[in-house]
This record gives sequence, C-alpha cells and structure tokens, in this order.
Amino acid sequence: MSTMLTMPKLEMSMQEGTLAEWVVADGAEVKEGDVIYLLETDKTSREIEAPASGKLVQKAEAGEVYECGTEIGEIV
Amino acid sequence: MEQSNLAIEPEVLKAIYGQMARIRAVDKAIQAGLSAGKFMFTYWPMTGQECIPATISQLISKDDYMITTYRGIHDQVAKGVDLYGMFAEALGREDGVNKGKGGSPHISDPSSGSMVTTAIVGAGAPIANGLAISAKERGENRVTIVNFGDGATSIGAVHEAMNLAGAWKLPVIFLCQNNEWGEYTPIPVYTSSPNFYGRAEALGFKGVQLDGNDPASFYKGMKEVIEHVRGGNGPVFVEAKTFRMGPHAGVGDNYNVDKDYLKTKKEQAPVAKTRQLLIDAGICSEDELASLEAAAAKEVDDAIAKALESTVTPATETLTDVFANVDDVPRRGHYPSRPAEGDLPSETKTMSMAEAVLDAQHIAMKKNPEVFILGEDVGDPHGGVFGTNKGLQTEFGNTRVRPTPIAEQAIIGAALGSSIAGMSPIAEIMFTDFFGVCIDQVYNHAAKQRYMSGSATHAPMTIRVQAGGGMGGFGAQHSQSMEAWLLHSPGLKVVYPSNPVDAKGLLTSCINDPDPCIMIESMMLLYTLKGEVPVDEYSIPLGVAKVVREGTDVTLISYGWMLNQALAAAEELAKEGISAEVVDLRSLMPIDYHRVLESVKKTGRAIVVHAAVEFCGYGAEIASTINEELWDKLKAPATRIGAAYAPIAYSNAIEFSQVPGSAHIVARAKDVVKS
Repeated sequence: MSTMLTMPKLEMSMQEGTLAEWVVADGAEVKEGDVIYLLETDKTSREIEAPASGKLVQKAEAGEVYECGTEIGEIV
Repeated sequence: MEQSNLAIEPEVLKAIYGQMARIRAVDKAIQAGLSAGKFMFTYWPMTGQECIPATISQLISKDDYMITTYRGIHDQVAKGVDLYGMFAEALGREDGVNKGKGGSPHISDPSSGSMVTTAIVGAGAPIANGLAISAKERGENRVTIVNFGDGATSIGAVHEAMNLAGAWKLPVIFLCQNNEWGEYTPIPVYTSSPNFYGRAEALGFKGVQLDGNDPASFYKGMKEVIEHVRGGNGPVFVEAKTFRMGPHAGVGDNYNVDKDYLKTKKEQAPVAKTRQLLIDAGICSEDELASLEAAAAKEVDDAIAKALESTVTPATETLTDVFANVDDVPRRGHYPSRPAEGDLPSETKTMSMAEAVLDAQHIAMKKNPEVFILGEDVGDPHGGVFGTNKGLQTEFGNTRVRPTPIAEQAIIGAALGSSIAGMSPIAEIMFTDFFGVCIDQVYNHAAKQRYMSGSATHAPMTIRVQAGGGMGGFGAQHSQSMEAWLLHSPGLKVVYPSNPVDAKGLLTSCINDPDPCIMIESMMLLYTLKGEVPVDEYSIPLGVAKVVREGTDVTLISYGWMLNQALAAAEELAKEGISAEVVDLRSLMPIDYHRVLESVKKTGRAIVVHAAVEFCGYGAEIASTINEELWDKLKAPATRIGAAYAPIAYSNAIEFSQVPGSAHIVARAKDVVKS
C-alpha cells in the first residue's frame, strides 16, 4: 500500500507552504520517521518526516510554493 | 504491594506510563498525519503535558466528571474516550462520539465521564460547578475536574466560577495545567501574579501547586486533593506545573520559546523521564516497555485507519440535534401545525403575572425534587427583585433556592452543568440587559451543547429574565428587548407571555422541555396585569400561537406587553371601522408560522409589533416570511413596527415615543389598510 504525501496544513491560517528542499533523493528507500523534506511557511521552517517506510517518489519540484493538500510525493 | 523508595507503588507508576504512552502515540500520530498531509484538521498540541491526565486516570473513575478544553486530547485519552470514536469525531465522521458535529474541540462522552469540552477559554469552569451541584444534591460520590490552561486564569468566567464553588463548597477541582503559555503569550506578559493557586485562598478555599511533570509527587498530591473534595470539604484549585512544547495550534515546536529554554524543557519532559525511571527502578524491562508502546501505537493506528475509512457525516444531518425534535427547527416552507392546549383546569384564582410565575415554580418544585432555582437575590424574604420566588426558599430550603453572587456567567454555567447531568434548574438573571455579561454561556454553550455533542448530552434548563422598556425611568441598560440576540443563536427556545395564564403554562412547558428555554417576562405586566389563572398544573405548548381577537382587515402579530398595546390598538381601530385580528405568538422559538399564515391569508394584511429595535428585529423575519409565502394573497406588503434605532433614553418624552405604543400601531395599521 502506498502512502500519498501532500502539502500539509500545519496551522489554522496556513493556506500554502514552500517545499524548500528534498532531503532524500527521488527513488531512495526511507524509513518511517526519517526526515524527507524541508517545509517553510510564513511562521516556521520544519523538517517533515516520512509517515511510512518505502521508496520515495518525488512528484513536485523543490523551491516551489504549493497549496495545502497538493500531492507532492508518494512512498511506495 | 512491593515496597520501593519511589514514593509511588510500582504498579501505579507503570499504569501511569501506560496512559502516557497512549497519549504520546496519539499526539505523534496526529502530528505525523498532519505533517504528511494524510488528514487535515486544526490541532492544539499538548506535548509535554501528558503526565497530568495520565496520573489522574489512576485516581478517578468514569463516574467522575471531567470538563476540558480544545487542548485536551490528552485528557480525553486518559479519561477513557474510545479512540476510534475520538478520531472519527476529529475527522467529522458519523461514527464520531458526537456524530462528527463537534469535532475534537467539543467532545462530550458521558460513557467515560468526559462531559463537556469547550473551545472558549475558561468557559468550562462555570459549567463544572453545575455538574458538581448535581453530584452533591444527589448524594453521589463523584468529583468534577475541570481542566484549563494558565491562560484561562485571566478570564472572568474562571473567577466567577471559583467564587461560587467556594461559597457553595462544591465538589469540584479547578485543574490549571500551567504550561507557561496563554496561546502565543507567556506568563510574565499577561499577568504579574507570582502563582495561580494563591487565588483560591483569596476566595476562601484550598489551593495547591504541584509538579505536573513528576508522576510520583503529582500522584501523591492529587490523591490528597481528590480525597479532600470527595470528603465534602469543598473545592480545590490545583496549579499543575508543566510546559507546552508545541505551538498554540499546529504541529512541531513552540517556536515562540527561546531555543535553549525549550531544549532544557525537552530534557525534563515527563514521558522519557518516567520511562527511564521505570527501567532504573527495575520495574520494567526495555522489552516490556517497547511492547507496551507498540500496543499503544497499534491501538492508535487501528483507530485512525478505521476512522479514515468511516463515513463523513452528511449534510442531511444539518438540522438534527439543534433541538430534541427536528420539527421545532424553523426553515423555509416548513410550518407545522401543533395542537393547542385543551381546556385548562376549571378552578381559578386571580393572580398577577408574578404570582402566576411563582405558582408554576412552586408546582414544579413540589413535583420534581430536581427542579431548583438560582439567581441573584432569589431567596426570602424578597424572593427575587420581582418577588417571583417569594416563600420558595422558606418552603424548599437553601439548596433548592440558591441566592447567588452577582455573577451571571456563574449562574448560567451552574444551571447548564446541572442540566447536562439531568437536573431541571431555573436560572433567573433579572434583566434581559444582563445577557451581555453571560451571553457566552447562553449562546455558545447552552444553545449548542446538544448539537456539538450530536445529542450525547443536552441542556434541559430554563432561564427566566425580565424585560423593561417603554415604562420610563430605567435607562439604557435596564430597558432593552434582546430577544433577537437569542433567536439568532440556533438551539435556544424563547417564550414571551402576554398574560398570567400563558406565563404559568409556558413556564411549566419550559421547565419540562428537553431543550434550553428562556422565558422573557415583561416588567410592565408582572404586577399590573391580573388574570384568572387555573390553580392546578397545566401547560401551554411551545410553538403554539393564539388568535386573541378575531378580525378581517389586518393581522397584528405581537407578544409580551406589546401584545396588550396591539389589543388596545385593535379596539381603537374598530372605532374607525377597521377590523384587526390580533395574534399572540406566545413562543418566539419554536415559532408558529402555521397560525400566523392562516390569519394573514384571511386578512390579507399583516403588521408585526415588538418593543425591540425594529432594525434587524424579529418582525423583519416574520414580515419577510409572510411576504414570500403569501405574495399573491396580500392586499399590502407585510410590515413591522419596533423601537427606533437608539438606546432607550432616560427622558420619558423620548422613551415613550421611541418604543411603539398603541397610537403608533393604530397609525401604521391605518396606512396599511388604506394602501
């Protein structure tokens, strides 16, 4: 079963966030809890951990702003 | 039990850690799910505060009542709220403990004793008093614990509630989880108090400060507190010192905190510390703890997975749980015809409206030991500033008629909490103008409890309130008609009698109704209008208007003392050959549109009359419905007449002209009939 990664909504006021940097390369194996990307919002920057173990499939470019809920990757 | 030098029994410590692990697993899963975008809801993290409810869980049972706040997921988990029901609720699903209608900030789960969760800071404290009253009066051994953060100590509701609990020695624990932050603002910024527990002493009861991050000492301290309260020694205020490691809302770290300070606090955090203690003391092996944590994680994962699969609460649920009976919910095109009262008991006595109100209360109190009255000055010899409770305290005693501090939030909250526990309180708050100081308890809590809880709990309480205006001399803050405020808050029933017979019958219905009811009593009528009132018990059903004068040319729709102005106007109009029908709404919510529309169908003209400000008033709502429903039958547009858009003036010349009287009604009716 794969796990979809979407731009999270971390705050009531958060509408969008910047996927600042992928820490894990596309196609690499990750373990649940590994930091996979860096997220920046107007309030904070934050390391986002893998919600599951598996192979990371990147589906969005780093350095771009995405609306909350946008699919940015998948762990398969 | 095995002795150790831990100052806590090993099994208890292990059980506390078991709850901490469950809380930690829930917190972690929510933060991970939100971070991954797996689900979206607003979260107020309690990371760092796990020890408090985990410890208390070993000292209370599901029979004890709890109230908490939106930052209370840890409290819910430890109290025993089913995790599937909790996650389904947070995700807005049908299977949520509250049908997905309240969400995580409004959990109400009587099966675990988690009675009320409020998203209004400090508002739980007045309600806790009511739960405690019910436990005390019923001779139950329950304690009520109301959780709130340090930020809540600044709000008036907490002060009012503490003062009342002290005065009445209620079995309630004010549990302040002092996490050093009131939302985004830290303690030295918002208060100069050196501590919070000291405030209890100032109000005449016990306050203690405990380390809420140390399970052994917190267990010992809370054990004493709970025994004190269970023993009938009155309330205790507990300041449980802890630290909130997350932000006010969202996930991650409390980014307002100095980084080094946060690092120190993280090192002192209770979950890891307690875990290490269990290993160091030889109580648990690493394997044992790992399997306990794995079991907690599995319980949480299973609950979330199942909740994500469950059905989203559909829009067809919109109107259910507003009132006990969905038929009472007003909506376009739905105008039920409710049966009117039959013949009333034949034996009567001449009574003023004040005496009729007193009589209804007297009968209800004799019949049901769970009916009680609370409010300012309600005790004898006065029996309330309007004498509507005269003699009741003498007859029924100090717990059935409770004179209160001048603290309307405390009054309404106490009534509300006791009603949630199933009692039938009657709260008197004197003037409608005073809704301003307790409206949060009325419209955010009493009105919404049934809906937010998906009918898991509800508030069968009655509020009696007096309305001035148009009589002169009371000024801008004791003369208002505030019914539109109440009617614009879904969940409140409102009645407004125009005569003593209806006052007695409507109040009886309110007391017996499963929803929160407010009876507005006109000061103009309490002593001036007498009637032949049946002496036995009877009810005037809610939502049933009455044609009190028949006519053919125009329908005057009104209520309360203004109804009497409408009747006087009808008399005048008759002299000029205009036949006015007068409809007394009696109940404003539920409204009887059926009888209103039937009357206007006959006359073809309608004027709604009220003492409240005309602009955005109830008359606008009724006139609009008449115009929409009867457009093709009307001879003139339905209209309304109310007070001028101004505060009530002290000058009689202004007041008597700004509030409509019979002359205003006559003039408008003549215009309408001419047009």
